[in-house]
Amino acid sequence: MSVQPQMPKSWRSETKPHKFCPGCGHPLILKALGEVIDELNIADRTVFGCDIGCSLLAWDFFNVDTIQTHHGRTTPVIVGLRRANENVIGIAYMGDGGGYAIGSQHLVNSAARDEKVFVLLANNTQYGMTGGQMAPTTLPGQKTETSPYGRDTELTGPPVQGPEMVAAISGENAYVARGTVGNVRQLKKFIKKAIQNVMEGRGFAFVEALSLCPTNWRTNAEDTWKFVEKDMATYFKVGEIKVPGEKKEG
Amino acid sequence: MQKRVVEAYIGEYASGKSENAVNRALELAREGEKVVLADLDLVEPFYTLRPIKKLLEEKNIEVIAWETQQVMGLGEAGSVLKPEMRWVLKKEGNIILDIGYGVEGAKVLNLLEGFQDNPHLKIYVVVNIARPATATVRDIVDYVQKLGNVDGLINNTHVGDDTDVKTIQEGARVVTAAAKELNLPVIHTTAEKRLQGELGVSDICGNPVRYIDRYMPQTFW
Amino acid sequence: MTKPIEGEKKVFMTGNEVVAWAALAAGAEIMYGYPITPQNEIMHYWTRMAPKYGRKFLQTEDEISAGFTCTGGVLAGKRAFTATAGPGNTLMQEPMSMAEMMRIPTVLIVCQRGGPSTATVIYSQQETTMTCYGGNGEGFRIVYSTATHQELFDYTIKAFNTAWKYRFPTFVLGDGYQSKMRESLSIYDPEARNIEMVRAEPYVVKGGVPGENRDPAHLRNTYNMEEELYEVIMDHAREYEKIAPEIIEYEEYECDDADVLLVAHGVVSRAAKGAVKELRQDGKKVGHFKPVTLRPFPEKELLERAKAAKQVIVIESAYGQLDKLVKSHLYGCSTPIAQYFRPGEGITIEEVVQETKKYL
Repeated sequence: MSVQPQMPKSWRSETKPHKFCPGCGHPLILKALGEVIDELNIADRTVFGCDIGCSLLAWDFFNVDTIQTHHGRTTPVIVGLRRANENVIGIAYMGDGGGYAIGSQHLVNSAARDEKVFVLLANNTQYGMTGGQMAPTTLPGQKTETSPYGRDTELTGPPVQGPEMVAAISGENAYVARGTVGNVRQLKKFIKKAIQNVMEGRGFAFVEALSLCPTNWRTNAEDTWKFVEKDMATYFKVGEIKVPGEKKEG
Repeated sequence: MQKRVVEAYIGEYASGKSENAVNRALELAREGEKVVLADLDLVEPFYTLRPIKKLLEEKNIEVIAWETQQVMGLGEAGSVLKPEMRWVLKKEGNIILDIGYGVEGAKVLNLLEGFQDNPHLKIYVVVNIARPATATVRDIVDYVQKLGNVDGLINNTHVGDDTDVKTIQEGARVVTAAAKELNLPVIHTTAEKRLQGELGVSDICGNPVRYIDRYMPQTFW
Repeated sequence: MTKPIEGEKKVFMTGNEVVAWAALAAGAEIMYGYPITPQNEIMHYWTRMAPKYGRKFLQTEDEISAGFTCTGGVLAGKRAFTATAGPGNTLMQEPMSMAEMMRIPTVLIVCQRGGPSTATVIYSQQETTMTCYGGNGEGFRIVYSTATHQELFDYTIKAFNTAWKYRFPTFVLGDGYQSKMRESLSIYDPEARNIEMVRAEPYVVKGGVPGENRDPAHLRNTYNMEEELYEVIMDHAREYEKIAPEIIEYEEYECDDADVLLVAHGVVSRAAKGAVKELRQDGKKVGHFKPVTLRPFPEKELLERAKAAKQVIVIESAYGQLDKLVKSHLYGCSTPIAQYFRPGEGITIEEVVQETKKYL
């Protein structure tokens, strides 16, 4: 007797099993996203955009209208769409290379203009699809194919603090958080609040999800989790960074 | 200083501000008057006085405008205010100001020292009803009201080489009606010299006609 | 809401305003743009008028974004457009290549300026190759090159219809001279001339629930296998070849008995036409052929005229961009082809007359 794994309704069963590597963090993020789409019952008006990089493997992942764009350009495509049709719930899904390197101007300016779109970014500290090159998020000392002796922060700067940057430049009604696939329940909560923020037309929403890439990290299961929960957590603080309506002292 | 002329020509994009300003400056120069003509166009770097600066100077007009060779990266480095321009109202003699278009309208005059308390300054709005944004009485009234304080309207209705008297008279009717609503005078109607025989000394509404030569087609970039 | 233009009227305006009015008249719903000279007044006039007619505008962070947001607007089912020039056109090639691959009917107005690089903000015809064949692709695009304000108005309206009818990205190739020149033209409501606007339709969020009562739209531009891509491109190629004869436009002036055929496009064709007029008065057998569509190119028509002539002269404000197009389409024609290139400079009637006389 075979037991089908529990899948969100908004996942497209015809395209499962999915195409991500074993142990990849993307399916965990996309599961959280899929469950939120189900719970909010918004599959009919959601447009999911995916980037180049591993995120593009999600191009036929959902029972949701999907546009696979160019590297770094998912944000402007979704922004243009949402501007033209305000009923759309636009989700731009990308990796750390797409969001913080080649597409950083789009992330920065969309946040600054307070576009009513949700940018969901998977941070796995390197370029997975092209073979594990250094990314803006690569940790100090971390070896990648283009930092073979370990990332030298003197030469290449420190890891980019994406959500902190977005929080600093976005309007007061933006929602910004960093979650982790190490705590999917919390990540899902952040994604839900982010989508609600754009659904209600309040403002921009951004969630970075610390993700897993055992393939390029060359790690076994134990070390994979250790890397995301210990090493990455040292540089990237998990939690909500900006919540609309929340007054802060100081 | 009794007869001193200080006039600023403003108006919608491509309404004929520069053409009217140039012709007015030339008219004063022909009368032997000292004339300063200043190009205060900050939005667009083309169709300005720059290319005919030499020609105007030969006709005894002091022109304050950039020369192409003086600017770097025309249109790329922005429209830079020529420092002399700030002090133009302190100059002696007659002053004609060619004000460019832009959403700030007559506010560009704030850049000039002594603008607020110059007793001679008259601001004239140049209107061409063949320009869709100022095609009707309503449009003109709305447009002029947004400009700030002005002293009169000029009917500069034309459609380039295809202009005929009928076009100009229609412009006179609309501009005069708008002026009435705005409680402003129509200073004159502008027409090319080739229409002088047919049009006469005043237009259908009794506004004087000022005949001009067209210089601006030479000033393209 | 009232129409931007009722019926038809004679007006006097600059080329950039013409584009803004044409886009309004065509029912364009949203413009995406980024400032660059000599394109700016298209945005200036669009932003002044758009709110009065319920239209929208987004100023983006760069031309890459203007192009991609424009594809987003089109995917939402709106008549969306953008406009640019020079280095902006270079950046625009990335989104336009996506539009080409995904058959997204974007409309892009190009106001050619001097190049390469920053060069001048003034004028050239140096964006001909890029507009026709830019990006990593095959040039499955439709490019209208205009010469007068009337054409600028007519073809901007037409661009929306061609784009949405055939679903290829469509370009109106103007230039800095046309942008800033002032001349009279008739502007009109397309309906008043019985021009029916092709309906724009959404590619996504088309109603219904994906996975329940319809399949989700899964739109992509990435393929895995050579064979898979080959099929997609060949489909596009077959479609493009099929529709080309319906799209091709050109203008002939005194070509019937012409020994010398002047080939020029865009604003330069005004000088070519003027030269033909002048030389004809002296009894010289000179004619002018103007391709209006540069993509697809009126190959058959030009070939016929070129074969009948003794000399072809290609005249352009670039160093051989139209010339390359012409030569590739005149393959097999033995009529000699001469060139008159003025990269980044305007060309006058007198120059063309003088140049043509060398071959008479």
